[in-house]
Amino acid sequence: MPKPSLRSRSLRRVFRKVPGNRVSLQYKKKKPKSARCGGCGAVLKGVPRELPFRMRNMAKTKKRPERPFGGVLCSRCMRQQIVSKIR
Amino acid sequence: MIEIGRLVVKTAGRDAGKKAVIVDILDDKFVLLDGETRRRKCNVVHIESLDKVLKIEKNAGHDAVAEALKELGIEARVSKPKQKTARPKAKRKTQEQIREQKEEKRKLMDVFRPKKKDEKAEKEESLEAKAGLTEEKEEAKPEEKKTTEKAEKPKETKPKKLSPKKTAPKKKE
Repeated sequence: MPKPSLRSRSLRRVFRKVPGNRVSLQYKKKKPKSARCGGCGAVLKGVPRELPFRMRNMAKTKKRPERPFGGVLCSRCMRQQIVSKIR
Repeated sequence: MIEIGRLVVKTAGRDAGKKAVIVDILDDKFVLLDGETRRRKCNVVHIESLDKVLKIEKNAGHDAVAEALKELGIEARVSKPKQKTARPKAKRKTQEQIREQKEEKRKLMDVFRPKKKDEKAEKEESLEAKAGLTEEKEEAKPEEKKTTEKAEKPKETKPKKLSPKKTAPKKKE
C-alpha cells in the first residue's frame, strides 16, 4: 500500500521497466493539457505536451511549427485567414 | 489561372502569407516560385493566385523578378550568401611534436606531483609541529630533567640495591 499522499489521483502512475526485468510503479506529475487551435479548437500537431521545465530546455523550433501562427492556429485555420485577408 | 508571371500568395509552410511570382511551370502539380519567398519548387495546392500578372520571361532570374516586383511595391527576398570560411584542417603530428608534447606533459607531471606531496607533507608536518611544538616544549624540559635525574639516580641506587640482592641469594644458598 503506498503512502496516503500517493493514493490520490493528483499524480499519474507510470509503469517503468527497471533493470532486473522488473516493472515498478512510479508516480509522476501530470502533464498539462495539449495545445489547441485558437480557431477551431483542434489539437495542434507539432506542439509537444510536456511539463514547463522540459519545454524551457527545448529549442524554439521544437516547440511549434515554423510558419505564421505556428503553435496558435492549425494549418487549415491559418490558410483560411490568409486567403480571407487577400480577398 | 496558373501561368508564368502570375502573382500568387503562398498558403503553406514557413513562407505562408508571402507573395511570389510563378517563374516556371514544372509539372501539372508543381511550379517554380520567386519573390518574397525563397526561389523554390512549390505545389499548386499550396498557392492562392492573385489577379495580377507580371511580364516575365520563362525561367527569369532573381534580379529580373525583383525589378518586376518593385513596380508593385513588393520587395523581393534578398538572400545572404554564406561567407566561406576556411575550415581548420586537422593535421597529423610529426613524431618530434609528439615527443615534445610528452616531455611537456612529463614536466607538468613533475611540477605537480611533488608539490602535492610536499604540500601534504608540509601540512602534516606543520600540523604535527604545531601540535608537537607546544607539547615538546612542555615535555622536552621535564624529560630532560627526568633523564638527568634518572640517569643520576640509578647510578647511585643500582649499585647499592644490586649489591644486597647479589649478596642475599648467596647468603640463602
